[in-house]
Amino acid sequence: MRALKSVLLTGLMLISLSVFAHVGSPGVIYQGKAGPYTIMVNINPPDVIPGTANISVYVDNQQVSHIYAQPVYWYAGNNGSPRADEALPVNGTPGQYQATVWLMQRGVASMRISVDGPAGKGSAIIPVMAVSTATRTMPKSLDWQLAGLGLLLVVLMITIIGASVSDGTQAPGTVRSSGPKKYMAMGIAALILFVILYGGSAWWNSWSSNYRRFLYKAPLAHTSIIKHGQQMLLQLSIDTTWLHNNNQLISYVVPDHGKLMHLFLIREQTDDVFAHLHPLRKDSSDYLTVLPDLPAGRYRVFGDIVRWNGFAETITDTITIPEKPVMQNATQNSPLLYSDPDDTYVTSNSINDNKNAFTGKFALICGKPGTEMKLADGSTATWQHTAGTAFEANKIYPLTFMIRDPSGQPAQLQPYMGMKGHAVIMKYDGSVYVHLHPVGNYSMASQQIIQNRINGNQKIPGLPDPERFRDSVDQLITKIRTMTEDERNNYLNANMKGMDMPAMNMSSDSMVTFPYAFPGPGNYRIWVQMKRDGRILNSAFDAVVE
Amino acid sequence: MDGAIYLNQAEAAIQQPKAAKVSLVIQPYVYASVFSSLCIIVGLIWDISWHTSIGRDGLLAPPHDVIYLGAVFAGLFSAYQVLRTTFFGTAAEKQASVKFWGIFYGPLGAMFCIWGAIAMLTSAPFDDWWHNTYGLDVVILSPPHTLLAIGMMMIQFGAMIAVLSSLHGAKHDNGAMHKWLFVIASGLLLTSFYTLFSEYLNKARSHSAMCYIVGGILFPLFLIAVARATKMRWAATATAAVYMSMMLIMLWVLPLFHASPRLGPVLNHFDHYQPFHFPLLLVLPALAIDFVFFKFQNKKPFIKVMLASLAFLLVFFVVQWNFGGFLQTSIYARNWFFGSYAWYFGANPEWPYRFAFYPDFIETGASLARGMGIAAVVAILTGLLGYRWGSWMKRVQR
Repeated sequence: MRALKSVLLTGLMLISLSVFAHVGSPGVIYQGKAGPYTIMVNINPPDVIPGTANISVYVDNQQVSHIYAQPVYWYAGNNGSPRADEALPVNGTPGQYQATVWLMQRGVASMRISVDGPAGKGSAIIPVMAVSTATRTMPKSLDWQLAGLGLLLVVLMITIIGASVSDGTQAPGTVRSSGPKKYMAMGIAALILFVILYGGSAWWNSWSSNYRRFLYKAPLAHTSIIKHGQQMLLQLSIDTTWLHNNNQLISYVVPDHGKLMHLFLIREQTDDVFAHLHPLRKDSSDYLTVLPDLPAGRYRVFGDIVRWNGFAETITDTITIPEKPVMQNATQNSPLLYSDPDDTYVTSNSINDNKNAFTGKFALICGKPGTEMKLADGSTATWQHTAGTAFEANKIYPLTFMIRDPSGQPAQLQPYMGMKGHAVIMKYDGSVYVHLHPVGNYSMASQQIIQNRINGNQKIPGLPDPERFRDSVDQLITKIRTMTEDERNNYLNANMKGMDMPAMNMSSDSMVTFPYAFPGPGNYRIWVQMKRDGRILNSAFDAVVE
Repeated sequence: MDGAIYLNQAEAAIQQPKAAKVSLVIQPYVYASVFSSLCIIVGLIWDISWHTSIGRDGLLAPPHDVIYLGAVFAGLFSAYQVLRTTFFGTAAEKQASVKFWGIFYGPLGAMFCIWGAIAMLTSAPFDDWWHNTYGLDVVILSPPHTLLAIGMMMIQFGAMIAVLSSLHGAKHDNGAMHKWLFVIASGLLLTSFYTLFSEYLNKARSHSAMCYIVGGILFPLFLIAVARATKMRWAATATAAVYMSMMLIMLWVLPLFHASPRLGPVLNHFDHYQPFHFPLLLVLPALAIDFVFFKFQNKKPFIKVMLASLAFLLVFFVVQWNFGGFLQTSIYARNWFFGSYAWYFGANPEWPYRFAFYPDFIETGASLARGMGIAAVVAILTGLLGYRWGSWMKRVQR
């Protein structure tokens, strides 16, 4: 009973921090095409599986007759999808449609948004990771309501048992006896009810603990600095004991934008150092990259990976980089490891002041909506948003950034890892982290994998041989890494063919837009990464969300 | 009411003049409780088919509405019966009722029904919270579903008691109607028992000892109680016949209606309801119980119950082992009549054991003999318990 009460009386609802391909930012946003239609989709996946996803579809200035949403699971393929649900127009908001779709099983799912209208039919596939992340306790009002009804049921049952062995079996009209038999029966009934309630409580607790066991947990990892010959390397080691205990396999990681892992380091407390690195793997669980010359301090580590079935997740850790890093596991006479050509890092002002605290070094002074900021190569970046306005939580905004070259002319942007831009948004306290692109904040590798599954044969997939799979992926990564930049961009563009996304089209446009809905109020820092004249351009901005 | 001894003189003085107005008809709440029991079992089996075929539901999904209709119907009629007897009842009506909490008068059956209705309604917000916390319906038995199931079965049991007390406690000659109502009420509760434990009793488990252990726990307990509670010669058989009829009607009627999966992943596609199970052939082992009770009616209860339980188990085993094998493996069972084609939308229809016994569920030799030994012991024990339960039901007066 004590255990039962502890669950019943805990009170307010607590939601755990969800971590999979993001930290604390569960909404999935898609900006792109569905055949001839340009749509924006905001999916709020359930935090408990089975559960329902709420889907908003926005269509701008185009006539549509019907919009449908349909879950497509990677495991079950196209044929395994249930009938689609129609997204219905939202009264008072022209162009907005709303649907509720059930996600019944954990795993890699997606939403197929189908649009029908005068221009014909079109559809888009948007990956959704169907995982349970929430733990809740009972609200007090319900707690009291159920406790009251429970008490009534117990008292009434004891009464019924008492009546069953006393006047219930006496002929009508005879005297009602209330002898010891009645009270003994009532006592026994109370005892049995207590045992039943105790058993129920134990059952509930075991259910709860079983549920917690299957809550999604990102793999644990340990990040360290090691010496490799004369080089300083950053090593991220995924905890294999944890993998074993959670029945997870890590050999099946696939590249996203041509990289096995997108590793971000952001200095804690000040958020003034930001690095975007792309480690290679030494073996299934150890990822290595050349450590750039980062200022000392404690850093948050976010490693984004995608598995072969499209499951995208973020591994988190922290690392302290000393002034002169202490070496571990020093290896002599090892061949030189080269940095990935798309590795970059940038320093900026701290979140606590507006100055460059890096003596003798360039540092960005973060921009704000509507203001211009200077970048390292002399060009400027402007956040195209009304100055001085705060953002509303959970509302989709097109975060648009305009780049001008040092002469003040609109810049000619080049693709950076196949995209017009990459952005990372982090809440100052680190409780929200998300990596997004102009097409949205989902993993494009996941999207490609699910699309391939839909287009391929519809057999239930079996697990490939782990060593052979890992080896073939490693060979591909090596091949991509040794390509020239043009070859790499061509390869990435060819790979994304069929994923009808105008946002990837490299026009001469000097602006890049990231659709995003901030998940809650607070202060956020946004790092935007683009490329111009063969150089990676890092910019950073601050946003206040109310 | 001649010769009745009243609780106190005042009660006798006030109420005795009205004592002559004893109702000679079956009270509406008795019919209502049996009807509620029917609603509950129809809704329950429909709900299982709904989950197998459509998947998606909500608090007010049609099968749930039918179940809740049963709860509301039983609860309201029973509450009305209690309140009417308490505040407007004649002395005879009060004297034919149980008195509780100092003021209320009502029949025992109505009290069970009220308890069941409150339990079912309590389970609704509990279940809703459960879904939000641990996920939407995926299993038959979770704590809130169990509360719902206990509530449902309590209403069904209340219906049986309502009929019995009406039969035993009132002076009228609707004996045949009462007997039929009792058998129907019993058969409906038996259907709930089967449904709740169908995981162990279905055709795929018919070659494992667990099927007969669970059957040995449930059926002698209930069927011997029913056989003992009434003077009907074939009470257990008739109860089993009601169970089989109920199951067969649902098996044959539901697939007539369109249904397609509304949840993914969908591995098995269809466009009509997937029915629940073909019933156990319980009529035959129930016949054995009735036969033993008739043949050995003058024997001591222990002997009678032991023989009845063992006879039940033997016939149940022989019949169900063979018939279960037919249902599970024969191509002649994969049709509308036997319904063995039914398959959950989320299960792979190519699964090799869809029409074969899964190796873990096949028992032979010593393992089977040991299991059947356990089944025999539990069948005797639960049969004895059922006999006592039936003896109590036989004595229910109010």
